Amino acid sequence: MRVWLPTVLLAALLGGLSVGMSVLEPLFAWVQPDTSRVIYERESFAFLLYNHLMLVVVSAVIGTIAAVAGGIFATRPAGRDFLPLVSQIASIGQTFPPVAVLALAVPVLGFGEAPILLALILYGLLPILRNTLAGLEGIDPAVREAALGMGMSPLQVLLRVELPLAGKVILAGIRTSVTINIATAAIGSTIGARTLGDPVIAGLVNGNTAYVLQGAILIGLLALTADSLFEALERNWDRHSGRVRPPVFR
Amino acid sequence: MAKIDGTAAPRPTPNRVVPVLAAVALVLVWLLDLGTIQPNRIVPGTGHGLVSAVGWPGAGLVSLVLIASLAVSILPLAWRYWALLVLAGLSLALLPLLLEVFAARHLPPDSPYARSSVGAGFWCLLFLLSLMLIEILGRLKAGRGVQLLVMVVIGGSWLVLLRGAGLESLSLVREFNAQPDKFAQALRAHLALAFGAVAVSAGLAVMLALKMMRSPAWQRPILGAVSFMQTIPSLAVFGLLIAPLSALSSAFPVLQELGVRGIGWAPALLALIAYSLLPMVRNTFVALTEVPESLADAGRGMGMSERQLFFQLKVPLALPVIIEGVRITTIQAIGLTAVAALIGAGGFGGFIFQGLGQSAMDLVLLGALPTIALALVADALFTLLAASLRPVPATA
Repeated sequence: MRVWLPTVLLAALLGGLSVGMSVLEPLFAWVQPDTSRVIYERESFAFLLYNHLMLVVVSAVIGTIAAVAGGIFATRPAGRDFLPLVSQIASIGQTFPPVAVLALAVPVLGFGEAPILLALILYGLLPILRNTLAGLEGIDPAVREAALGMGMSPLQVLLRVELPLAGKVILAGIRTSVTINIATAAIGSTIGARTLGDPVIAGLVNGNTAYVLQGAILIGLLALTADSLFEALERNWDRHSGRVRPPVFR
Repeated sequence: MAKIDGTAAPRPTPNRVVPVLAAVALVLVWLLDLGTIQPNRIVPGTGHGLVSAVGWPGAGLVSLVLIASLAVSILPLAWRYWALLVLAGLSLALLPLLLEVFAARHLPPDSPYARSSVGAGFWCLLFLLSLMLIEILGRLKAGRGVQLLVMVVIGGSWLVLLRGAGLESLSLVREFNAQPDKFAQALRAHLALAFGAVAVSAGLAVMLALKMMRSPAWQRPILGAVSFMQTIPSLAVFGLLIAPLSALSSAFPVLQELGVRGIGWAPALLALIAYSLLPMVRNTFVALTEVPESLADAGRGMGMSERQLFFQLKVPLALPVIIEGVRITTIQAIGLTAVAALIGAGGFGGFIFQGLGQSAMDLVLLGALPTIALALVADALFTLLAASLRPVPATA
C-alpha cells in the first residue's frame, strides 16, 4: 500500500487546490498586488483539470492500443518486413518537437480539441511504439521456443509469455508518453483547447503573474501525480511479476 | 555493393513495404487536394485535386512514378533498390515543381495578394515518399556517405526551387519574403538559446557526473533532482520562473541592465538548462562509469597515471555516448525554445504563436517547419559525429 501513498497525497493536493484555489488568495494578492482579480475565474479549475486529464487519458489509451498493435504486427512473421521502417518512424518521429506537431495539426483540422487530440495521439504513440518493439525484440528467442515447445499456440505465446515479459518496458513507454502529453496539452491552450494551460496563457497575455502561477502550480502537480502513479505501477509490476515468473521459466 | 552482404546471391524476395507505401500514396494523392488558391492571406481558399491542380500530364506523371516504384520493388532484380533510390530521390527532389505548375495554372495573374498553399495531398505525397526513401536506404544498408549525398541533393533542390521565381506565390514563401530580417533574427535567437543552454548544461553535467563518480552518495540526490526537473511541463516551469526572476531583477538593478526580467531570454535559458541536465548528466555518468575496469587496469599496467587514464582512455571511450546525450538534449532544447516564445524569448516559436493568434496558418508553418528542420539537422549532425567518434575495434 505504501507505494501508492505519494500518488494519493499528490492527487488529493491537486484536487483540493483545483476546487479551493481561493484559499491561497492572500499569497496571490501579495504576488500581484496591483489588480483586483487575483484568482482566475473565467473557467473553474476543476473543469480545466478534468478537460486536461481527459485529453491525456484518451490520447494515452488510443495511443497505447495503436502502438502495441503496431509493435505486435511488426514483430510477427507476417509483418517482419515492416519492422525496420516502423522502428525508424518511431525514432525519427521523436525528433519532431511536440509544439511543431501541435502547430501543424491546426492547418489540417482547425482550432479546438480535435487537432490537439490528434497531435497528442500521434506524438504520444512514438515512445510507446519504440518501447513495445524494444520489449518484444528483447525477449530471448529461447523463451519463445520453449513456450512453443510446451505446446502453446502463437497467440498464447504472445498473450501469456511475450506481452507479460515486455510489459514493464511498454509501461515505461506509456509513462514517457503521458509525461510529454501533459506538457503538450498545456501548450494546447494556445490553439483553443480548454486545459490548465489557459490561466498561464491568459496571465502571460494580461501580465497577471498570479494567473500564471495558479496554472503553473496545477500543471506541475498534475505531472507529478501522473509520474508518481507510474512509479507505483512499475514497482507493483516488479513485485507482481517477481512472484509469478520463476515457476514458469527457469 | 549488394554482393558483399550475400543477399544478392539467392533470388531476392519481393519487397512488401514499398508497394504498400506507393499504393497508399497513389490513393491519397488522387483523393485529397494537392493545393489551394487563396485570394489573400486570411480568406480560406479553394482546393484543387490532382488533375485540376497539375492537369492530366502532371497527374499521369505522378501516378506513373508511383506505379513504377511499386512495380520495380516487386521485381526480383538485384539492383532494384538502387533504381528505387534514384526514383524516390528524384521525385522528392523535384516535388516542389508540382506546386510550381499548380501556381502557374491557377493563380490569377492580376491579383498581387493571391497566394497558393500546399494541400493535404501534397503533404501525404511528401510524407509517403520520405518513408519510401527511408525504407530503401535501410534495405540498401547504405553508408553514411550515400545518405548524406541523398539529403544534400534533396535539400539543395528544395532550396533552389523555393527561392526561384516560380514559387514566389507560395504562401510560405510570401510569409518569408514579407519579413526576411525577422526570420534571420528568429533563427539567431533560436540557435543562441538552444545551443547556449546545451553548452552551459554540458559544462554543468560534466561537473555533476565527476562529483557523482567521486562520491557515490551524491548519485541518488543528483539524478533524482535532474529527473524531477524533467517531469515538470515546460509551460509550468516558464510560468513558475516569472515571479522569482522579476523579483530578483527589481531587487538588483545590475541584472535589469543585463536584460534579466521575469519574461524574455533569462527565464527561458534557465528553464532550458534545467531540462537539458537529465539526458546530459545521465549519459555522461553512465558513459564514464561503464568503461570496462579491465581496460583501466591495462592502462595502469602500461604505466598511465589516473589523469592520463581519464583523458586518454575513459573520455575517448565515453565520447560517443556523451555525444548521444548532447544529441537528445539539443533536439529537446530546440523544441522547448519554440515554447519559450510564449514568455517572449523570441525564436521560431514567435511565428507559431503569432500565426495561431492571427489565424494565419502560413505564419504558423513558417515557424513550425524551420523548427522541425533544425531538429532534424541537429539529429543528423550529432548522429554523424557520434558514429565518426566510435572507437574502431582493435584488429589484434
